[in-house]
Amino acid sequence: MLKIKNLFIKEGNFTLGELSFEVATNSYFVILGKTGSGKTMLLESIAGLKEGVRGEIYCDEKNMTNLSPEERNFGFVYQDFMLFSNMSVEKNIKFSTRFKKIEKSDELFKDLISFLHIKELLKRDVKHLSGGEKQRVAIARAIYSRPKLLLLDEPLSAVDPNLRSSIMKLLKNITKRYDTTIVHVTHNFKEASFLADNIAIMLDGKILQIGKANDVLNKPKNIDVAKFLGFKNIFKGSFFDFEDERKDSYFSVDPNRILFSYKKNDKYFCYKSKIENILDITDHYKVFVKVKKRVVFAKVPKNMFDKLELKEAKECMLCIDEKDIRII
Amino acid sequence: MKNLKDKQFLSVFVFLGSLVILFLTIPLIKLFGSVGLISMAKTIIQAEVYNSIFLTLKVAFYGVVFVLITGIPLAYLLAKYDFFGKSLLESLLDIPVMVPHTAAGIALLIAYGNGYMQRFLSFLHLDFIDATTGIMSAMMFLSAPFLINGAKEGFRKIDERYENVARTLGAGRFEAFFAVILPMAKSDIINGALMMWSRALGEFGAVVIIAYHPMVAPVLIYDRFNNYGLKFSAPVAADMIIISVVIFLTVRAINNKKYGSR
Repeated sequence: MLKIKNLFIKEGNFTLGELSFEVATNSYFVILGKTGSGKTMLLESIAGLKEGVRGEIYCDEKNMTNLSPEERNFGFVYQDFMLFSNMSVEKNIKFSTRFKKIEKSDELFKDLISFLHIKELLKRDVKHLSGGEKQRVAIARAIYSRPKLLLLDEPLSAVDPNLRSSIMKLLKNITKRYDTTIVHVTHNFKEASFLADNIAIMLDGKILQIGKANDVLNKPKNIDVAKFLGFKNIFKGSFFDFEDERKDSYFSVDPNRILFSYKKNDKYFCYKSKIENILDITDHYKVFVKVKKRVVFAKVPKNMFDKLELKEAKECMLCIDEKDIRII
Repeated sequence: MKNLKDKQFLSVFVFLGSLVILFLTIPLIKLFGSVGLISMAKTIIQAEVYNSIFLTLKVAFYGVVFVLITGIPLAYLLAKYDFFGKSLLESLLDIPVMVPHTAAGIALLIAYGNGYMQRFLSFLHLDFIDATTGIMSAMMFLSAPFLINGAKEGFRKIDERYENVARTLGAGRFEAFFAVILPMAKSDIINGALMMWSRALGEFGAVVIIAYHPMVAPVLIYDRFNNYGLKFSAPVAADMIIISVVIFLTVRAINNKKYGSR
């Protein structure tokens, strides 16, 4: 549906690209990255709102690269809504009818206000809406223009956390209900894992990994992605004394899967260790342990912690089951 | 203790603020007090006076309309784009506010009152010297920066993403400007236009160099003061002030009510 080929743009010291990826029709594609990684710039480039973009943008095989934003038929929702303050809610939603013919517009309008629960807001001044209400109106306005592609720029960041899950449920249904494709950028993992069919990880203007949501979130392709996704305890294969081809690979161990003991257990990889630091968290302890001159981070349930009588400076065995060692 | 310090702080500021308010309002109060309503009414019904005041209001309004059409695009460009020479251009636009008004009148006279420009204006059937075109030019020259700067600040406040969204919804650049940007900046533009118009009403120095006749109100006040003294010029001044203040406050009140007070 959407095909990006070698997209490149430079603004000041920041360079985006070159990026190439495809988004399937009616799919929900999430670009996950830190703030300042170029996500908004990418969306604006796709929408035709940036000058000096190199590369090619295709939508349904049609070359969009040189079309103006109004000719592309891509909807855009910014994180801070950008509702037109000189218009009521209803006029905001119907704004696109001034410039193009909307197919079955009355039917679509009725469906949208019911789907997004905004019927009671229609005559209101946009200045007096809450964050969640503004975001639903902004989404309605974009969908009402019947875009082939809907670009969402951190659409939930300015919404009250209590309302996020309800708006996320609405977003999840949009692609099929309104026959559109969504590209959504965010820095929020929960949003990405809940909404995405496919995910791209974007850092410093580059896409580092792209694929099915579950694969990307659980099988990072390199250390940068792993670190960004919050993987802890990243070690080289030599840490585990691997001597085969795994020696130079990187591995990660979930802090919840680390075990402590006072005896070596042959079923596990066990190492002599010394506890360096302990932090008391509500339902567990964060334990930082020195192993082979490296610090390993473990989360230990309180009952297990008490049973083992762990304390700072104590020496014990740190054990890891081989199945809990994930290759990166 | 804290309340006492607050009171002292506020007392000093209120006292100092009151001094400037008194300085600004005493002349007006004294003017209206010394002239009186009857004298003001008798003066306003004189054809020479109401024609002069109407001419002043009308020509200042034409000037505002001209600068709305030409100055708003300029204000938008200055607010939204960075380009070579922008700072110089902004400084040039502010020069009319700094120069002596009679000097501005002389400059206008040299520029448009003779040579090619005069012939061009004649070709358009427009006279410059002792004509409304000349008066309008003098008024505009010295007051246009108020409107342009007001509009520029208005446009600066508007996030460019509003225009982006409008365009993704199908609006072209002109359509996005007229449907979204201009209405959102309207309050600042109207306030700028009011400032320009009120500044233009009081223009004397440049106008008197270019056109003693037809007499706009400030020239009429000066003329009457010179030839007949304070008794005959003060009622015209009071009438002119009251009419322009009423129009100014009415438009500003409507603007603030509609677009929020600033």
